[in-house]
Amino acid sequence: MGSQLALKSRIASTGSLEKIFNAQEMIASSHIARARDVALNAKPYTDAIFDAVQALVAHTSIDHPIVKKNGDNPRVAVLALTSDRGMAGPYTSSIIRETESLLARLDEKGKQPELYVYGRRGVTYYKYRNRDIAGTWEGDTDQPGVEVAEAISNALMEAYMKPASQGGVSELYIVFTEFINMVVQKVRVLRMLPVQVVLGDQQTVAAAVGDTTDGIDGVDGADGADKPATALYAFEPSVDKVLDAILPKYIQSRIHECLLTAAASETASRQNAMHTATDNARSLIDELTRKLNASRQASITQELTEIIGSADALNKKEE
Amino acid sequence: MAEQPTMQVNIVAADHPVWSGEAVSAVIPASEGDMGILPNHEPVLTVIKQGKLTVVEPGGERHLCEVSDGFISFDSNKLTVAVERAHNVKRTTPDE
Repeated sequence: MGSQLALKSRIASTGSLEKIFNAQEMIASSHIARARDVALNAKPYTDAIFDAVQALVAHTSIDHPIVKKNGDNPRVAVLALTSDRGMAGPYTSSIIRETESLLARLDEKGKQPELYVYGRRGVTYYKYRNRDIAGTWEGDTDQPGVEVAEAISNALMEAYMKPASQGGVSELYIVFTEFINMVVQKVRVLRMLPVQVVLGDQQTVAAAVGDTTDGIDGVDGADGADKPATALYAFEPSVDKVLDAILPKYIQSRIHECLLTAAASETASRQNAMHTATDNARSLIDELTRKLNASRQASITQELTEIIGSADALNKKEE
Repeated sequence: MAEQPTMQVNIVAADHPVWSGEAVSAVIPASEGDMGILPNHEPVLTVIKQGKLTVVEPGGERHLCEVSDGFISFDSNKLTVAVERAHNVKRTTPDE
């Protein structure tokens, strides 16, 4: 009977865990729709900035610190995007693993990486291990707002724009999880600064100039076709001022984009983890219920054997 | 009124699209002072400061929008306003 009681209480506790997992899974799947909306809402802005940067690249030769490496400063910044809460399977741990290997690679190359962390889990991990962290941000990793993106990009830009002698950094890497689909999320390392995407654009735009009939289709569909790549923009108040204003915004919107895709990945990986946990809890309950039934049946059988045995003994006495 | 040339206006904030539609003119708070934009303006890329953005629709309705920190680009008769924050979209009809 003791083991039956124990099994019953295990079934009850697994049952309530299952309810929690199931609820978490539901919450995560409802958040995914929201994460998608947020990402869609942010897209027009990102596109606008991207177009503007393209225009700038096409019409001016950019000579801004953001696009070129400043000397041989060995200090580099690494930003890891982790989650605030657990229950997301391997989400944070794979980010941390990738970050560690990136830090090791950078160390090997003779660089001095400085660590920036977003997300409570990552911060706790590094704080517990007494690692030096250059900057941390917490809160809202599953729905990052513009404020967070602004805070992060301001801090990182400040570190980047500082001269090497005052502790500035020469490169910025971001470790984040790319959202491929609901089941697949991939950890990626992106070199955000100095801007390398602009160079790629320059080639695209240059190709478009060389061949105005074909090349443009690749740039931006119908819009691109209306837009001769040679259109002369007037920059107000001046090219430099526009660059100064737009490039940091470009970085910020890229960072925001990373935050959003990381948030979508976090939610998706939480949903997957909770789905697996729910399934596991259910199969555990099934298994325990079978054990409980078997042990109840065993005790009934034993009782019957005892009754029949003693009845037989009594009958034998009467004869 | 129907003959008036119009342009496509698209106002986007960092986290959401604010407004888009046809307009006959727009006044933007450019960094060096307000700047009026009419359809078929030359391509321009301008930094804007905090201020009020006004868009006049073909019917004469005005949209007022509080914007801060961003830029506008005008190209192929399309005005794109990209700002960090935008709020208080007010709408006034010509009678008001």
